[in-house]
Amino acid sequence: MSATRVRVEAKGLSHRYGHRRTHIHELAFAFDGPGAVAVTGPNGSGKSTLLRIMAGLLRASAGTFELQVEGVSLKPGARRLALGLATPELSFYEEFSATENLVFAAQAHGLAAPAAAAAAALERVGLSPRANDLVAAYSSGMKQRLRLAFAMLHEPAVLLLDEPGSHLDDAGRAVVRSVVEHQASRGLVFIATNDPLERALAPREVSLDPAAREVTHA
Amino acid sequence: MLKVWAILMKECRSEWRTRYGLNAAILFAVTSLTAVTFAAGRIPDRPDILAALLWLTLLFAALSSMSHAFVREMEGRTMLLLRLVASPTEIAVGKLCFNLLFLVVVEAVTIPLFLLLTGAPSVRWSAFLGILGLGTVSLAASSTLVGAVIAQTRSRGALFAGVSLPLLLPVLAAGVAGTLAQWEGSEIAPYVKLLTAYAVALLGMSLLLYDHLWED
Repeated sequence: MSATRVRVEAKGLSHRYGHRRTHIHELAFAFDGPGAVAVTGPNGSGKSTLLRIMAGLLRASAGTFELQVEGVSLKPGARRLALGLATPELSFYEEFSATENLVFAAQAHGLAAPAAAAAAALERVGLSPRANDLVAAYSSGMKQRLRLAFAMLHEPAVLLLDEPGSHLDDAGRAVVRSVVEHQASRGLVFIATNDPLERALAPREVSLDPAAREVTHA
Repeated sequence: MLKVWAILMKECRSEWRTRYGLNAAILFAVTSLTAVTFAAGRIPDRPDILAALLWLTLLFAALSSMSHAFVREMEGRTMLLLRLVASPTEIAVGKLCFNLLFLVVVEAVTIPLFLLLTGAPSVRWSAFLGILGLGTVSLAASSTLVGAVIAQTRSRGALFAGVSLPLLLPVLAAGVAGTLAQWEGSEIAPYVKLLTAYAVALLGMSLLLYDHLWED
């Protein structure tokens, strides 16, 4: 397995919702892959917002975020294939099975073998035995595993995981660890978390805590 | 195109599973046509009323369902999934294709029933289908555009009616007048031109707008 040459860089990144400021203020960081990065900070500091900006879903109020894959800088609209996002805000079509949801996503991503990609992703998160059940019948832990499968379905260069261990049991947390280790060996993975165990998976950190703003450069 | 096709297939499968819109649309069309026929009987000598009845039936049958194309994604919190796999334009074009297909299915049920129950005079098929086809494209384009615009607002239901009205009035007026003209044997070219221009303008405007609609 060869690692993808990937680099992310933020310069003067700031975001506010109307008049309400987040802790994303004049944020600057640069990381080269492969590896894992933790995004930490208190509740409401803007961890999820930062991941949404990185995913191209949200336009920052100020500053720039750049994603380079194999030396090519990708515009926000072209980042979908290079980024995978798993966040608690992500929901699936409840009238479809997990396989059908992922096959649809794989087809929309333009993958060559959607069914095989969906099966492989579900296998990696341990959902294969329930792959053909409707998502409506899934527990919250199973839905969280499905989010992880969705995020890595297309083998993105950068994986963005927002509170990846939420709703998961010990086996599920082992899946998160495995996903992070796999991604950290081939690209970049960002983990937005305040969980010490998940924090320990990433040797580098972007802190949104204003009391201890510390940015570790690669 | 692959993404648009994937979204269209997803919409078809979802509709087939849930029958969210189709049952309601066809039920509305059948009950309204039956009620009018019971009240007024067969009225082949009133093509003016027939033309209005046809378009009103199609409009309300279709709008009750098509307005929900984006609202369902917002309320089911699946819009994020869509945005992570496709651009806003690809999503909206996929929805537009589904709305077009949906209208064609509703019309395939409604129009034979309409002709049968109301005793409408014989239609000039090429003119009738031409007006119907152009009106269908305009209806689908306007409801998709309005659905996309209001998707992130709070009072979506009320807004849909308010925002749709000015967009739909020209389609309704030209559709009714064109349908009446083909029954009366008069010229339909002005209505064809108007509906064509309107459909092209709506589609063009939509394609320009979609990519800017969901920027937070």
